[in-house]
Amino acid sequence: MAGKTAIIASNGTLFDAYKVYNIATAAAASDHEVAIFFTFEGLNLINKEAYSQLAMPEGKEGIAEGFKKANVPAIPELVEMAQELGVRFIGCQMTMDVLGLEQEAFVDGIEVGGAVTFLEFAKDADVTLTF
Amino acid sequence: MNADKILDAKGLACPMPIVKTRKEMKDMESGQVLEIHATDKGAKADLAAWSKSGGHALLETREEGDVLKFWICKG
Repeated sequence: MAGKTAIIASNGTLFDAYKVYNIATAAAASDHEVAIFFTFEGLNLINKEAYSQLAMPEGKEGIAEGFKKANVPAIPELVEMAQELGVRFIGCQMTMDVLGLEQEAFVDGIEVGGAVTFLEFAKDADVTLTF
Repeated sequence: MNADKILDAKGLACPMPIVKTRKEMKDMESGQVLEIHATDKGAKADLAAWSKSGGHALLETREEGDVLKFWICKG
């Protein structure tokens, strides 16, 4: 492994999803070991119902056209690619409890854990990011 | 320049050219050359950085109209 990248995803708009998954797939494609901790609104990014239809940030709805024009991959496509590249997805247990969501609500292959699960991974990471 | 394989990544946005390049390179032998065609302008800096971090050699970069062409030798 060329390095280790630890990411916290704590926001849930389409912009946040691209920020998280672009960095995650790029890092994994550069042979980094990568884990993403999804917490609070960040859980939208792996929620089966939500992740294919994430909202634009308020006031930015007009940018949808730009996404089409730039031919950026759809979020479910990026999720599949990230998982194929070995990116670990960790769903925050506490947020899931608060929102009343079970693991079945999320894409396959996620782990569920608490803050310590993420910290254990992140403590010797070369790159640590929060979105 | 001769290449062992050609990857068409035209029309793809970041991070796809890198992800596709990595996928192709994984199946290649050390010393083999991959030729990549891309239209994502960010690929110019990205493929250079990717090659460097992965221990590969970016042999040549060429611009032909809107298409960027890269030759990378697997390390």
